[in-house]
Amino acid sequence: MFDSKLSRRDFLKTSASAAATLAATQVGPFAGAAHAARDKELNILCWEGYNSAQVLDPFRSSKSATVKAESLTNDPTMINRLRAGEINVWDLINVNNPWARKIMLPEKLIKPLDRAKFEPYFAKMMPQFKPPYKWAMDDSGKDLLGMAQRFGPYSFVVNTDKISRKTAEDQGWDLFNDPKLAGRFGILESDDWNVFGICCIAGFDPYQPHTPEQVAKFEETAKRILKNKKVVGDIATMNQAMISGEIDCHLTGGTYSASPARADGHLNLRGVTPNKGPLAGGKGGIAWIEITSVVNNPHGSPLAEQFLEYVQAPEVAHTVAFAEGTFNPVAQMGNPECFKLFTKDQLEAIQWDSLEEEMARSVEYDIVPDYDKLLDIWNAAKKS
Amino acid sequence: MIEKTSVLAQPGRRAALPIMVLLALGFVAPLLAVVGFSFMPARTFGLWHEPTLENYETIFSDNTYVSLFWSLGLASATVVLLALICYPVAYGLVRVFGRWSTVLTLLFTIPLVVSENIRLYGWVLFFIKGGVLPGTLRTLFGVEMGDFLFTPAAVLFGMVYVYLPFMLFPMTLGIAMVPNQMREAARDLGATRWQVFREVELPLSTPGLMIGSLLTFVLAVGAIAEAKVLGGQRIIPITHDIEIAFTYAQNWPLGAALAVLLMLVVSVLVLIVLRRFDLDQILGKR
Repeated sequence: MFDSKLSRRDFLKTSASAAATLAATQVGPFAGAAHAARDKELNILCWEGYNSAQVLDPFRSSKSATVKAESLTNDPTMINRLRAGEINVWDLINVNNPWARKIMLPEKLIKPLDRAKFEPYFAKMMPQFKPPYKWAMDDSGKDLLGMAQRFGPYSFVVNTDKISRKTAEDQGWDLFNDPKLAGRFGILESDDWNVFGICCIAGFDPYQPHTPEQVAKFEETAKRILKNKKVVGDIATMNQAMISGEIDCHLTGGTYSASPARADGHLNLRGVTPNKGPLAGGKGGIAWIEITSVVNNPHGSPLAEQFLEYVQAPEVAHTVAFAEGTFNPVAQMGNPECFKLFTKDQLEAIQWDSLEEEMARSVEYDIVPDYDKLLDIWNAAKKS
Repeated sequence: MIEKTSVLAQPGRRAALPIMVLLALGFVAPLLAVVGFSFMPARTFGLWHEPTLENYETIFSDNTYVSLFWSLGLASATVVLLALICYPVAYGLVRVFGRWSTVLTLLFTIPLVVSENIRLYGWVLFFIKGGVLPGTLRTLFGVEMGDFLFTPAAVLFGMVYVYLPFMLFPMTLGIAMVPNQMREAARDLGATRWQVFREVELPLSTPGLMIGSLLTFVLAVGAIAEAKVLGGQRIIPITHDIEIAFTYAQNWPLGAALAVLLMLVVSVLVLIVLRRFDLDQILGKR
C-alpha cells in the first residue's frame, strides 16, 4: 500500500531521482560497470542466415546468453554503421571478403583473432581455404582477421528451359547486350553487385581504375540495360518472375539467389558463370566469400570468439548453409563430417555439381576503385 | 517582491514537462539530426564537419525532380481516385447498408493487420504471368492479358488499394456528421436528390473528405513498397531515392537533404490546402 503521507511532490522527486540514476548507469560514469557484464550478451551484424533462430537458439541456450543479430543485405552499409559509431554496439561483423583486410583492419574497426586457436579450423575447410587463407589474413600475412564460411559464384541466373546453360556460359555477359533479350530479363536490386555486372557487360574489369571512356561506356550500358529490363526486384521477385515466365534470366545472381527456387524443385533456374570475360586472367565470373570478424568494440563480448568456434562445428555449419533465406555452400564442406549431412536435394540446390569449376572461372569479389562515381551513374540511370 | 514569471510557474506546464522532454528527444532531435546531416559534406558520417550546401546543389542539378514528380503525381492521383471510389462506399456504409455496414467495415479493416508487403506480394501472384487473373482469363475465355504487373499503372493500383481505408473512414465520419434533419428539410423545401447531395450533403461532409485527402496524400507521398513490389522499380519515387542514398550509396547527407526537401514540399502543399480550407471553420468550431 502507498504511504498516505507521500505527497505528489515527494512522488515526483523520488521518480525523478530514480530516472536520473537509471539514466546515469546507462550513459554516465557507471556505464563501465554495465558493460563489464557483457559476458552474457552478443551482438552480431550480418547477412541473413546468421540471424536465424536455427543458428542462434542452440548457442543462446548453451551459453544462457542474449544474442541479438541484425541482418543487412549490403556490405557498405554494415561497415559504415561501424564507422558512424556503432563499433561500441556490435561484437561480430559478417561481410564479404575484401572488407576485412582492405578497409576494416586499417580503420581499426576489427581486431585480429588468436591465430593459434582459429587457424586449425581452416585446415579442415575445402582446399581453397587452406591456411593461410588470403582473405582471412592482413596484408603482412601475420594477423588472422576472421573466419570463412559461406561462399559462392555470383554472376547471373538463367531459366535453362529458355536459355541453355551452354549458351549462357559461352555468351557470358554479352547475353545482356543482345537486343533480342529486351523485355525478357530482370535485375536483382543489389546495386553494388550491379555495378560489377554493368562493368562486365560493358566489357571491362570493375576492379581496375577506369578511364573516362570506360566511365562513359558504363553510363551508356547502364541506361541501355535499365531500358531493356523487365523488372528490378528482390530475390523473391526474380525467382517468381523466372518461374512464371515473366523473364528468362536476371543479373546479378548465382547460387545465393537461385538456391531457394532450386530447393523448391525449380532446377531449371541455374546460376551461370561465364566461360570467359573481362575480369583478371580472362575470367568471366565473380565469387564472394564471407569473412566474419571480431569488431574492435572497447567493451566487446567474450562470446564473440566462442560463436566463431561454435559455427565451425559440422552440424552448425550445415545449419548455416541451409538457414532461412538463401542456401549456400560452406567452406566446412571440406570436412567429411560436415559434407555427409547434406542431402542429394540440398547439393542440387547449391549447384554442387558445378561449384568447383564455377569458382575456378571466377575472380573474387573486390572493391571497385571508383564505386561511388559508378553507383551515382547507375542510380541516375534508373530514373532516366 | 516581484513574482517570478517562470515558464514553469504554471502547474500544467510542469506536468507537461516530461512529455515535452520525451517529444524533444524522440521526435525533434532526430529531425534536427536529419536537417543537420543535410548540410554535411557528401558521404560523411558525422555532424561536425564544415556545413555545405553541396547536397542541395546535387539535388537541383541531377534528375531528382523525376522522383519527386512521380511521388507527388502518384500521391495526387491516388487521392483523386480514392475520393471518387470511397465517397459512394462511405455513403453506403452510413446511409444504405444498415446492419451490413459493420461486416463491410470489418472487411475493409481486417487486411490492415497483415503486413503491407505481404498483401502486395499477394497481388503479384494475382497479376503475374500465369497467375490468378491472367491464368483464369486464359483458361476460361482464351484471353491473353496484356502487361499490367511491373508498370506505373500497377503502382497506382497498389497505392489505391493500400490507402483506401485511410480515405474511407474519415469520409464515413464526415458523411455521418451530416444531420438527417438537414437533408429532410432540403427535400421538404423542394430540392431534388441531386440538389440535396450537391448543396447539403457534399458541403457538410467536406471535413471528412479533407481529412481523408490530407491523410492519404501525406501517407501516399511517402509510399515506396508499391513501386518496388508491383512496379518492379519501373519508376523510382523519392522515398526510394532516399533509401538508396542511406544504403547502397552510403551518402547520408544526400539522403538527409532529399528527406528535408520532401518534408518541405509536403508541408508547403499541406499548408496551402489548410489555408484554402480552414478545418476549424468547416468543423464548425468558430
